[in-house]
This record gives sequence, C-alpha cells and structure tokens, in this order.
Amino acid sequence: MGQRIIETENLTKIFGEKLIAVNNVNFAVEKGAIFGFLGPNGAGKTTTIRLLLGLIRPTAGEVRVFGEKMTPSSSNLRRRMGYLPTNPRFPPRMTPIQYLDFVGKLFRLGRAERVERLSALIRSVGLLGDSSREIAGFSTGMLTRLGLAAALMNDPELLIFDEPTSGLDPSGRKSTLELIAELGKEKTIFVSSHILTDIDRICTDVGVISEGKGIFAGSIKEMKKSTRSRVVRLELDGDVQKFCELLKAVKWVVGYTTRGDFGVDITIDPSMPMADAVREVTNLVTSQKLDLISISSSTSNIEDAFMDLLRHEQSRGFLRAT
Amino acid sequence: MNNRVGSSEQHRRGEALAPFWAIMQADLRSLFRSKITYGWLLAAFLLVLVTTLGSRLHGTTSSAVSSGLSDFIYIWSLVIIGLTASSVSSEAGELADSIMSKSVTRLDYVLGKFASRIAYTLICFFGVAAVLVGLALRLETSDYNSLGLFSAILVIALTMVMLTTMGVGLSVAMPSTVMAIVTLLVLWYAMTIFFPVIGLDLLSPGNLLSYVQDIIKGEWTWGNWETVIGFAAISIASTTLSSAYFYMKDI
Repeated sequence: MGQRIIETENLTKIFGEKLIAVNNVNFAVEKGAIFGFLGPNGAGKTTTIRLLLGLIRPTAGEVRVFGEKMTPSSSNLRRRMGYLPTNPRFPPRMTPIQYLDFVGKLFRLGRAERVERLSALIRSVGLLGDSSREIAGFSTGMLTRLGLAAALMNDPELLIFDEPTSGLDPSGRKSTLELIAELGKEKTIFVSSHILTDIDRICTDVGVISEGKGIFAGSIKEMKKSTRSRVVRLELDGDVQKFCELLKAVKWVVGYTTRGDFGVDITIDPSMPMADAVREVTNLVTSQKLDLISISSSTSNIEDAFMDLLRHEQSRGFLRAT
Repeated sequence: MNNRVGSSEQHRRGEALAPFWAIMQADLRSLFRSKITYGWLLAAFLLVLVTTLGSRLHGTTSSAVSSGLSDFIYIWSLVIIGLTASSVSSEAGELADSIMSKSVTRLDYVLGKFASRIAYTLICFFGVAAVLVGLALRLETSDYNSLGLFSAILVIALTMVMLTTMGVGLSVAMPSTVMAIVTLLVLWYAMTIFFPVIGLDLLSPGNLLSYVQDIIKGEWTWGNWETVIGFAAISIASTTLSSAYFYMKDI
C-alpha cells in the first residue's frame, strides 16, 4: 500500500443540526493517484473539499492530510496543497500579477521566488496579455486559468480541483483535463466532478458520494466490475424487428429491449463469457446484413456503473426506511 | 554565530508574519485606491477649510479644533461605519476561494483586517486633524495648551479606533454587510446620543465632545481617564471576541 496523502475517517458534517451534508464518509487517496470524487449536484462534494482544506470543522470523524489531522489552523498543511474552486472568485480590483504575488506572500514565498513563479505561471496559463488588467472583467475561462495558476503558485504536492471544467467551452474543458492529466504525473490530485466522462478520462481511482454518503471508493476498474450488468448495447441500421425476433431463439440471450427505432440492449446469460457474447452478436448482425452503427458493453461505461451505484444505494435506503 | 542564530530567528518570525502583512497591505492598498477615500478626504478638507475660515473673526483655537473633531463623531463616522462594517462580510464570496484555502490561519486574516482598517482610519483621521490644527493655529485666537491639544486629538483618535474595531467585529459576526452596517449605526448613535440620557455618559462619544474644548485648554480630569479606559476596553473586547468567533466559525 502506498503512502496515504488524504484519509478520511467517519467524516461527518451537519449544518445547523438540520442538514447532514456529509455522512460518515471514508476514503483514502494514495500518493501519485488522480482521485475522482463523483456525485450528483448537492451530494456533498464541495462540503467534503472544504473539510479537506480545513475551511470548516467536521461535526464528527476526521480528515488527515499528509498523515496529520487537518484543522482550520493547519496552515502548514495547506502550504503543501493547491486548490481550484468551482467558478473561482478573486479580489476584483487586483490584476493577475498582483493577485498571484499576494498568493505567493500568503504561502510565505520570498520575493525572487514569487516573481519567478508568477511570471512562469501567467505565461503557461495564457494570461500574459491580460496580466495588467483588473480581474473584474475576466471571463469564466480566464478566471479558471487564473485560479489554476494560483493553485500552482506554491508548487503543491497535492492539488484539489472542485468541478474544474464547470462553465468551460469544449476546448477549454479539453485543455483543462489534459493539464490535470499532465500534472497527475508529478502530483497527487483530488478532482471532484459530476461529469462522468471527465473522471473516466483522467482518473485512476474514484470515490462516489450520494446524499452525503460515500457509496464507493476504489479504482475505476473495480467500480465498473462491481456494477457490471452484462448488457450489450447496439445501434443498427436495417430491420431491427427481424433481428429481435432472431434473438428470441438464442439460448444465452436472457432478454432484450429496444431503444427508439435503431437501438437494442441485449441482456446476456451469466454463464456466457462477455467476449464470446459480443462476438456472437456481431456475427448475427453480419448474417442479417444489418449495418452496425455502434456497439458497447455497459460494463465499459462509467455512466452506467455510476447510475447502478446510485440506484443500488437508493433501493438500500428505501429498504432501510421500510 | 550568535548573529547568525538571531538572523535566522528573525527570518522565521518574518516568514510567519508574511500572510498577516500580505492581507494588511492588500486591504490598505484597496482602501486607498477607492473613490470613497478620495471623496471623504476631499469633503473633510473642504469642511475644515470652510468652518475654520468662517469662524476666524470670533473663534478661538480650542473651539475651532473641537468643532473640527466633532465632525468625526457625527459626520465622518458614517464613512467609517460603511467601510469597516463591510470589511469581512463583503469578502465572504472570495474569502474561502482566494485567501483562506492558502497557507493562512484564521488569526492571520482577521488580525490583518483589524490592523489595516485601524491604520486606514488613523491615517485619514490624522491627515484631516493635521490640516485642522494647522489652520486653527494660524487663524484663530490662541487659547490652547500643546499637551492638551495633543491629548484631545489622541482621545478622538481612540474613539475612531473603537468605532473601527466595532465595525470590523460586527462584520465578522454578522451574516450580511447590510445587517452589520445597520447594527453599527444603531449602536454608534445610541452610544453618542442616548448613553448620556441613561447615565452611561462616560462611554458616550457625544458626551466626550462637551469636554474636548477643556482638554485642548489643558484641563484633564479623572472622568477623561475613565472614558479613555472605557473606549480602550471596548476596542480590545471587540477585537478579541470577534477574532475568537472567526476562529471558531465555518467559512
């Protein structure tokens, strides 16, 4: 087992004795991992991040970062961390140079180091042309890039990103994800998101939170394996009805459902290996002279795995209630 | 060797105070770049000029300085209330994102805010007071005592510090800027106008003004000491209690 950079133990946060925002959450992030923190909106992701940063105190349980307990006074731990919030907000009257210099001072960096780092960062996030403009007029993309530069100002060992692609256009989103993947080669990264494809693309490990409760923590592979539903999903051009009639006669097909005019989800018998099932299905498509638009197994889709986890959690909650 | 140990100790202390200084400097810079400051100082200088020139035929130094200082209690206190009661609550949105998530302790932040707002109030106050005294000494009939004049200015400076600490303190404790401003307005004018009515005249800035002219002439009483001690105690209590509250609260 590698060195644990973040570890939570029965982490709980209740606001005003009414709202349980985080409920007994346990997970660990190992050194060098890119940990995706998944959950629907309002699940408790940002509250968990604020607990990780010591901005709020847990009602119960604790957070350990770099092996030490995180508290609001742990400025020594935050010195080794970088944080990019969702839609970051900055002092509006400052310019990027002034703000990054200010952040450098907050991290107790010397003047020479501050100047060197802020010039390199402003250039690398593409804000050189706007470095003397007041932040007040910046677009969402520019604010995110400035936030990224601020998060990297202290050359942190641990980076925390809260919904880093929120509000970005497709090219901004792509470049942000590429940058996170690049940073992940040297640093430990904790990234929260509700955009599943982003997590699937860059993360090595994942934690899932729903209604404040941690419902999964492990590698992405483990998550997909634990929730596989043995469904082959096809999109076909041709006589789909005739194809479905043929499926009825196949013994390892447990059932099927059609999706619109050209989609078919085939449920495979557990005794049939998935690889063989996919091969047989494609043979059947070819034999019927149908044009295969797309084929996928839901086991390879993080969205399905995530939805399965949520459904499973909801049904457990329902059973507990009854 | 000892020198080297001393210098490394100094460096460590300087490094530990870096966030506090950074927050204080950034806040002061933003205050002195604000149009409110320019407007306030311009209006204050003009008012000093007009009132001092207007009273030059029949006025005395003590009455001119006393009248100029009373403007801080009744008029310019409004500006100080606005600027101090918004100091922390107006930053609520960016506070966690851009400051507290860095290597900053709660005390670095809140004490940096107290220090910057107190420094700002005092710089503006002493700037206007210097012009006031300069004009009064040249134009009015001299009836002042140097130590008394100095003491009167320091007592009003302390009153302004008290108002500032109350403002920043409420800004820490109140959930919104508007609520902090309204609460401070009510508190300040209650202290200034109503405290004498209910027998708390020693803690009333308005009541203090009735003695300022005597202080300028060199008359200092035990009652003045009580007022100074009372104002200093309120300032220390505001700073300590609100810092403790900020230390405990979720951001």
